[in-house]
Amino acid sequence: METTAKKKTSKKDYRKLILESYQQHVLEFGKEPASIFKFAKELKMTEGEFYTWFTSFDAIKSEIWVQLFDETVSQLEAQEVYKEYSAREKFLGFLFTWIEVLKNNRSYLLSLYSEKLKSLTSLPTELKEFRSKFKDYAGEIILEGKETQEIANRPILSDRYDEALWVQVLFVFNYWLKDQSPGFEKTDAAIEKSVNLAFDLMGKSALDSFLDFAKFLYQSK
Amino acid sequence: MAEKLKEQESIPVSKVQRAAKFISTGAKVGGNYVRHYAKKMVNPSLDKESLHQSNAEDIYKSLSQLKGSALKVAQMMSMDKNLLPRAYQDKFTMAQYSAPPLSYPLVVKTFQKYFGKGPEQLFNTFTRSAVNAASIGQVHQATLDGKKLAVKIQYPGVADSVSSDLKLVRPFALRLLNMNEKELDHYMEEVEERLLEETDYLLEIERSREISEACSHIPNLNFPNYYDEFSSERIITMDWIQGQHIKEWLETNPSQESKNQVGQALWDFYHHQVHNLKQVHADPHPGNFIIQDKDVLGIIDFGCVKVIPEDFYKGYFSLIKKDLLIKEEELNEIFYGLEFISDQDTEEEKVYFKGVFKEMISLLGKPFHAERFDFADDGFFEQIFELGDRISNDKMFKKSRQARGSRHGLYINRTYFGLYNLLNQLQAEVETTKPDWLK
Repeated sequence: METTAKKKTSKKDYRKLILESYQQHVLEFGKEPASIFKFAKELKMTEGEFYTWFTSFDAIKSEIWVQLFDETVSQLEAQEVYKEYSAREKFLGFLFTWIEVLKNNRSYLLSLYSEKLKSLTSLPTELKEFRSKFKDYAGEIILEGKETQEIANRPILSDRYDEALWVQVLFVFNYWLKDQSPGFEKTDAAIEKSVNLAFDLMGKSALDSFLDFAKFLYQSK
Repeated sequence: MAEKLKEQESIPVSKVQRAAKFISTGAKVGGNYVRHYAKKMVNPSLDKESLHQSNAEDIYKSLSQLKGSALKVAQMMSMDKNLLPRAYQDKFTMAQYSAPPLSYPLVVKTFQKYFGKGPEQLFNTFTRSAVNAASIGQVHQATLDGKKLAVKIQYPGVADSVSSDLKLVRPFALRLLNMNEKELDHYMEEVEERLLEETDYLLEIERSREISEACSHIPNLNFPNYYDEFSSERIITMDWIQGQHIKEWLETNPSQESKNQVGQALWDFYHHQVHNLKQVHADPHPGNFIIQDKDVLGIIDFGCVKVIPEDFYKGYFSLIKKDLLIKEEELNEIFYGLEFISDQDTEEEKVYFKGVFKEMISLLGKPFHAERFDFADDGFFEQIFELGDRISNDKMFKKSRQARGSRHGLYINRTYFGLYNLLNQLQAEVETTKPDWLK
């Protein structure tokens, strides 16, 4: 539908057009276009023109991820209760909303990622931007959690918490891709349980008391 | 009573603590189970019981990982016919309460999914955390236009996991409940059907309305109103029933008159359902009843409703006729009809099982044999438990090649067993009414 010539589109719209057409292409053909050249031709622009906006397909995919993230955050912040949430609830809220946002793009994501993302270690390059934005966001949640004592401050370890939450995001995404339950209810349950576990681990626990005690014994010898 | 409670304290500390953990989430285990169990615990001659107990602990731990319907099944099996060692029964009755609460963001999400709005927008106030837990959901309190409401929200994925949970519980059930495979399959189908119904909140509303309306003429009963505009497949909104649970109420030392009034209301409620409506609130769990001002009994949670088929009804209840135990011919016919015995049985088996079932029926039918029955009589319950224990350890039952008893009996037995237990807990003496055709 985007191929119908548009009169005098502004700069902003070109960007949008490319993103939409790319998604459209993936949806219709189940894979990304063969080359930038072919894709640009589809869009009735020259390859040279195309590079003004994006320089690779990865850059397009990256932008789509970022958009999904931005939309999630803006939806979240529109909820009044969000401000009153504890750190744990904020993160839960984030994942629930994020999955809702992803749901509208499920076919697109399935075509691109149902085969990939098998392992959580090798990260597709297009996720990098999303990851860094997410980590900023997660950092705020963690900071807040530490202030309210919801999250325990542990040397070295606590600097890696944002990484842990990111791994969880990937886990939830993977789980959701494979989820076949009606309304993705199982993903809801998976989010609930995994976030509770993560925050229980990050919170003050018997382990901290044990370490504290061990340290005391060692030092007072 | 005081003495018995003391006995309970002598259970090894760790067990009490563990049990307390479950109780703290609001569990009020049927008083009889606890009392009876405590008594047995201190009786050193009952080694087997303590063995069951530690088994139950372990099994409970693995089962509690399953949550939802698997626990429900275990719990239900444990109620059935009281054929199950008591230690398991306790664990499983408590199990119902142990699911972890839904987080508030998930509650919000569920609301948004069905109403496009968060709970704060729908109601004037809405409690952030659950005020009560149910086996497959949790209850929040809300207010709207000055009215207090109870909002029940189902855990996600429960409906979907019923069948797979049942498969998971199978090996446990086989090993634990002394049931043979045939018997188990026989029940599983019935259980699955009920459980799936229980996850259908729209059906629950429909039935709640139907039954409450049909029972509205019974004195001293109170039913909540249900609100369609705030209900969906996963959410039920109804009036908040203000009052006390049976255990709490009993602690206020109500008079015998009050106890009898509540007990009678309970009996009438079941009598009307079973004999006139032919469908019954099949979950007489203490948590589903609330005692209100002026000793009015509030009834909530119609998740589990069993429709009683006509021919089953006739057979089952003609057994409670007092003089029936003499008429051999008629009895044989009913036993065949209810699938207690079949042509596959040997003569020896027939005689044996008929004997056992006769004993069981005359015992369970005892309250029906007089105009009034005093459920405070613990001796009666001792007898039931004693018979249950005997049956569960009986070789003839274990090696029996077929399931005994109609599948419909599962829920009817459970209902009556639960009802008797509640009445015993209430220490009530009630007029045990019978339908005309049985008089």
